[in-house]
Amino acid sequence: MPSKTNNGVGIQVEDTKICVVMVGLPARGKSYIAQLAQRYLQWLSIPAATFNVGNYRRHDAPQPTADFFDFNNPEGERKRRAAAEAAVADMLAWFRTGGVVGILDATNSTKERRKWVMDTCAAHGIEVLFVESKCDDEEVIMANIRDVKLTSPDYRGQDPEAAAQDFRNRISHYEKVYKTINGDNDEDHYTYLKLMNVGKQVIINRIQDYLQSRIVYYLMNLHVRPRSVWLSRHGESLYNLSGRIGGDTLLSPRGEMYARKLPELVRESVGDDRPLTVWTSTLKRTIATARFLPPHYNQLQWKALDELDSGVCDGLTYQEIKDRYPEDFAARDEDKYNYRYRGGESYRDVVIRLEPIIMELERSEDILIVTHQAVLRCIYAYFMKKDQAKSPWMNVPLHTLIKLTPRAYGTEEVRYEAHIPAVSTWRGKGSTAKHENPTPESL
Amino acid sequence: MDTLLTAEIAANAPRYRRRSSTFIDSIHDVSEDHDMAPAQLYSTMSGRLFHSGRIAIVMVGPPARGKTHICVSMARYLQWLGVKTRIFHLGDYRRATIGPEGTLPDDYFFPDASPSSVILRQKILKKCREDIYAWLNHENGQVAIYDAVNPTASGRRSLAKEFGKHDVQTLFIESYVDNEQILHDNAINVKISSPDFAGMDRETAAKMYLKRIEMRIPVFETMDEPELNYIKMINAGQKFFYNNLSFNYLSHRIVFYLTNLHIKSRTTFFARAGTTAEEDSYKADAELSEEGRHYAKMMSETLLKHREQERLEQIAKGKPDEPLRPLSIWTSTRLRTIQTADYLKEKGYKVRQRSQMSQINPGVCEKMSERVIRQIYPEEVEKHALDPYHHRYPRAEFPRDEIIEIIPAAYQNEARRIRIPGLDPKMLSASPDDIRVPGSRPMSRPESGQMSPIPGGIGSPAEPLERSTERVINTSKDLVADKIHDEI
Repeated sequence: MPSKTNNGVGIQVEDTKICVVMVGLPARGKSYIAQLAQRYLQWLSIPAATFNVGNYRRHDAPQPTADFFDFNNPEGERKRRAAAEAAVADMLAWFRTGGVVGILDATNSTKERRKWVMDTCAAHGIEVLFVESKCDDEEVIMANIRDVKLTSPDYRGQDPEAAAQDFRNRISHYEKVYKTINGDNDEDHYTYLKLMNVGKQVIINRIQDYLQSRIVYYLMNLHVRPRSVWLSRHGESLYNLSGRIGGDTLLSPRGEMYARKLPELVRESVGDDRPLTVWTSTLKRTIATARFLPPHYNQLQWKALDELDSGVCDGLTYQEIKDRYPEDFAARDEDKYNYRYRGGESYRDVVIRLEPIIMELERSEDILIVTHQAVLRCIYAYFMKKDQAKSPWMNVPLHTLIKLTPRAYGTEEVRYEAHIPAVSTWRGKGSTAKHENPTPESL
Repeated sequence: MDTLLTAEIAANAPRYRRRSSTFIDSIHDVSEDHDMAPAQLYSTMSGRLFHSGRIAIVMVGPPARGKTHICVSMARYLQWLGVKTRIFHLGDYRRATIGPEGTLPDDYFFPDASPSSVILRQKILKKCREDIYAWLNHENGQVAIYDAVNPTASGRRSLAKEFGKHDVQTLFIESYVDNEQILHDNAINVKISSPDFAGMDRETAAKMYLKRIEMRIPVFETMDEPELNYIKMINAGQKFFYNNLSFNYLSHRIVFYLTNLHIKSRTTFFARAGTTAEEDSYKADAELSEEGRHYAKMMSETLLKHREQERLEQIAKGKPDEPLRPLSIWTSTRLRTIQTADYLKEKGYKVRQRSQMSQINPGVCEKMSERVIRQIYPEEVEKHALDPYHHRYPRAEFPRDEIIEIIPAAYQNEARRIRIPGLDPKMLSASPDDIRVPGSRPMSRPESGQMSPIPGGIGSPAEPLERSTERVINTSKDLVADKIHDEI
């Protein structure tokens, strides 16, 4: 079958558009999955947005009781249908402005509703990937209910016990009409991913293309076991002292001090003796920084964690770069995320090569990463949802340990300072200073 | 006894063991370092990844389900990742034990087989498993793929238990087919070579073959063991079911590979960049020379002509007149490759710069003579001599680094070189042989499961290479369709 994105001479005229349609009862972690998928795609520069039907419904019914969700209540039914239509209409409008992956976050628990979404998307040339989260593990459901009753705007300001009871009633209304995807064997033509009990069992049906398989692979790597990720730059290096970028130099005496202090800092932050897995780059300064960590920590060197390759500018100071490549210097400040050093890399390139690292991070539990400024900015941007335009300008000080803990709605951050002085390697736009104090907005 | 002895001698002879334990596919051949194009994530002394333990991948499914083909593709992929992988086809052990003249008892696969059949079965299994353990324990093996029918749940449970005792994690992969068409197609293709069906028409032969499988293997239980880790691949990748109790890193990689395996067939062309004014310096990043530009034009024209010709050939073969699949061009971020693609860019084809495609950075040792390198980095030279393949000069990349970034692509290559008419050798800086296609080592074809269950095939026989001084383009089939055509 000829590709619909093909005008006959083999030149691509348009890109794939995918609507990820969440399916599942309330309190099954749908919004959590949607949020992570969106963050991951955006981090890869794929335009992605989430359309939460609940938000649309709240316009008309800000704090409805469970009766509203009784499928025999025509008024509730009408309003919920209108909310779904409004969300889908907005999503279609967003696709027209260049969106690539739209995530429709709703229960979509009936076959009729799914068929309607499928037909609407198909009419607009949008591929549909259903993602169902199915769960019968009471513990997970209870945890989600507790979470919802604390955070959902539907129950704001209400008595927590009454809210929990009402929410359970709401779920039971949904349970009456809920049909799992292809439960009756008549939805086998859909492309879908079904995650049962947080990925313990998975069904993948009719994956069509690479982007879909990429999303599916990412979602399969997610887990909800509690864990943290620790990030640290290497200790101050000799090049840091002289204000040169790149290189493969060893640590300065103060950098050495940080390396010796790091085990203590990590223990304080971890709180117990459980071992972490340590990832470093292949450059000497990160390996040297990690070398005093306890021997029962596994250590891995990843080429992908090496510092942004500054090509012809490697080993120069910013002043030298400005003198020798004035146009490049200006171009980089103009668009630091996309600027690619001659013969080297851009931040965007770094993100692409970090993708397997992120996949691996999502799959793993406690990890300590010792890496470099640009790489750390990219990893941090993934967890903290930092904007591409801003993340390359972020200040990530030397001799500081950052602890990131993923939570249901966002990532928690704690910083531990080693209190060992180091030069600042932060640089403001246009500046060629060797060491400059970061401005407040770069923090 | 005699044949068994011969088989045993063959299987135990060190040279044979190094070549292949199974004789049916060449992925076990110990290749020269420079032939390899794996993309190991990191290297260890043992050759094993240490954030993944030792794994036995156990295939499940009756014949004609494409098991062997899945094994071979998967092993090639894992080896490309730098994971020590070997396939153990139980069928080989069976053939070796019975000998060329011997016949298998009729009840060999029956659950209620006669005592003599059970003894024979156990003998064959024992030999195969001993080989698996020997390889894992003494040859630093990491992934052993055990290719057999494994028809019963109880058999699979005890297998997982036994591997567990040896500290090996088990992952079952079942190829489940209930689509008659796929079964039938597989049977036709598997059977073509068998003398049993000589003179019979293909349809009859296929039906007979499937019937025979049913009779020989009367009991087959599809996987439904909640306590085992397994992947069920349904109808050649149309659907997957995963029972994931404790999938580890490699299991996830395999899952991703398998989901991509069936996607779409496509062709990949590789071409070198034209020559530049300053040929030798990595850092200079020079523009194309006059010859380089001329080459770029000729190469592009040849490529477009080739595509058109292929289309016409398809039409001539009676296939419908379909438009060509979109062609997108990936270059490295180096000027010479970008400029080599300029001609195609002007024609309106989408050109993407991908930093992963860049030439290997020679690091600080670029343009130094060996003597100088020896003086400055005596330790590095020593390390390099010990392990030239894994060793990395300071700041340089080693060959593996170059490939790691393109892991998502599932390489199933059928290499063919295309001649560029009238190409002057000086238009290329070095021999076109310098193009290395990941995973393109020619592989002999497996004896069983010759045909892939995957529509369009997951692999085709390698055509003999046409050697000529001017060839620059390879074709390879069935890469993952990258519809994003973009930065990821």
